[in-house]
Amino acid sequence: MFLQQLINGLTVGAIYALIALGYTMVYGILEFINFAHGEVYMLGAYLGIIALGLLTQWGVTGWTLAPLLVIVFAMVWAAAWGGTIETVAYRPLRAAPRLSPLISALGVSIFLQNFVMLTQGARDQVFRRELLFSSDFNACGLSLASCTVSYTQLLIIGTALALMTGLTLFINRTKLGRAMRATAQDQRMARLCGVNVDGIIRLTFVIGSALGAAAGVLVALYYGVVNFHIGYVAGLKAFIAAVAGGIGSIPGAMLGGLLLGLAESFGAGYLSSQYKDVYAFVILIVVLLVRPQGILGNKRDKV
Amino acid sequence: MLRTMISLAAIACSLLAAGCNLGPKTVKIGVAGPMTGPNAKQGNDFLNGVQLAADEWNAKGGVLGRKIEVIPVDDRSDPKEAVMAANKLVNLGAAGVIGHYESSCTIPASMIYAEAGVVQITPSSTNPALTLDQRRSTVFRACGRDDQQGSMAATFVRDRLKLRKVAVIDDKTTYGQGLAREFERNLGQGIAVVAYENIQRGDKDFSAILTKIKPLAPEAVYFGGYYTEAGLLATQMRRQGVRAAFISGDATIDQEFLNIAGRDAEGAYLSYGPDVRKLESAKGFVAAYTAKFGPLGPYSLYAYDAANVLLRGIEAAQTAEGAKVAAAIHGLSFNGARGELSFDENGDLRNIPYVMWVVRNGAFEVAN
Repeated sequence: MFLQQLINGLTVGAIYALIALGYTMVYGILEFINFAHGEVYMLGAYLGIIALGLLTQWGVTGWTLAPLLVIVFAMVWAAAWGGTIETVAYRPLRAAPRLSPLISALGVSIFLQNFVMLTQGARDQVFRRELLFSSDFNACGLSLASCTVSYTQLLIIGTALALMTGLTLFINRTKLGRAMRATAQDQRMARLCGVNVDGIIRLTFVIGSALGAAAGVLVALYYGVVNFHIGYVAGLKAFIAAVAGGIGSIPGAMLGGLLLGLAESFGAGYLSSQYKDVYAFVILIVVLLVRPQGILGNKRDKV
Repeated sequence: MLRTMISLAAIACSLLAAGCNLGPKTVKIGVAGPMTGPNAKQGNDFLNGVQLAADEWNAKGGVLGRKIEVIPVDDRSDPKEAVMAANKLVNLGAAGVIGHYESSCTIPASMIYAEAGVVQITPSSTNPALTLDQRRSTVFRACGRDDQQGSMAATFVRDRLKLRKVAVIDDKTTYGQGLAREFERNLGQGIAVVAYENIQRGDKDFSAILTKIKPLAPEAVYFGGYYTEAGLLATQMRRQGVRAAFISGDATIDQEFLNIAGRDAEGAYLSYGPDVRKLESAKGFVAAYTAKFGPLGPYSLYAYDAANVLLRGIEAAQTAEGAKVAAAIHGLSFNGARGELSFDENGDLRNIPYVMWVVRNGAFEVAN
């Protein structure tokens, strides 16, 4: 049972971590919390359904690579949304007081929720997994002792790990990544050194949105049901994960996400399932009491 | 400024005067339920059923010599909204109300209707508290109760499936919890309830609970709750390797349950009324409804019957006054699309046999 709860927790945690990255990256650079990020994740889930629909129409769902295509489609499209949101809602407010972009973010969030509700309907949408995978993929998996690891869970953990590794390599090893770190440290200095700061900020939103969308598709794949208000709770939890891990810190967001997933899973399994949503907040309170900057956060980035 | 105020006051006065002159030209029937949100389909099924009944009556000249007007209100599956919706219908002067969908909405709203003396008939709320806790002459139920449903399911598990170990899960709603408790209470000696767990309505991940349940090896999982969570639960049970029969109640018998669970729904048992598609008395209704609105929802016919009961009550009482209509309904026996319907002193149907349904080849059918 312990092992099974561990796997369950890691699966959910990997998804929280992917979303949390979007919060933490934006905060690291702009010191502002992008409250619309949860909705971008929700958008990603819907884009996954749309991609699946397109693939079905073209008759290419049998491919082994089809799930990858769905994820990539959603990521690219959501990245475009992320870039656009930054240009429309946040860039004009770059010089405004810190509260203004925050309120703008809430506005974007309300807009996106209602946009999806009006265009896609208020009902639950079903992600038809059986179109994407051979016969009984959902129920299949590896059996280790008393523990079943479904292929869907492996797919989620694997994809999330791959994306997080890719992001870490990008930030630490590439020129653009270095420019991003420089912008996070000191915008003016970075600009003086020839970094295109506006471009970097947009890139941050683009990457964060793509990761959020990937999380959305993975969730649609895992649960099979999506609706227009899933962004709220998931966004809130991912935000908690980002803050607990140390907002502004990329490894912190990953750690925070996994920790949250594990806490929910073990809490529901060993304590009581009635209080599942409470565990996330308990973790947040404990972390903030003991280390106000978050587990891996800098002193500078106190929240 | 002063001039504006005077003209505004003048407009207000004339509006008031106009309002006084308008006598009731129509008989208003309220339809209350979730018209938007995740359960919007149920509310719209109600509306379609009632509209069909109203159209048929209007084609024959209406009731009390007046046309029937159907007024939908949205409770968004939220008890607070349900009370507001109820107040709205009372203020609009509804002669009767068909609704609401969920017990958690129907019960608080029923206080408003009862106080105003407006007849309320719910097509789908099965929690016993609605009619049994406090007897109100104007509250009726056009479906069965959870104690009847739960005991039927318990008997089915004990005598037909012959299972000895069950796990029970509910979603903490008035309906879900009530149903799950009735099921558990009726299991009797010899059947062990190895686990009793709760989930949160709207939650998507039940793997922690299922992991907890799995080593206890239940032969059946009974779920008290609605179709979305039921679909997710059935899927995740198979994913986690919980090999138990999935059994649930009437709020699960919806196409959406099949869509969400896909082939994991196969073999699920659900308690619900008899198959109306096979009833001779429902033939006309089914044909008219499908032609107009598409496939039948689980409560389309119940709403249609409820509307007919209300309208015949008004006709028999020769007034739209709530108390008299209610008395008429209590005293009558109706030939509904479901067959003969009559109400006992609590406002419950005298005879509502629940039967067990099963999912076979991606469709619901009565289990034999």
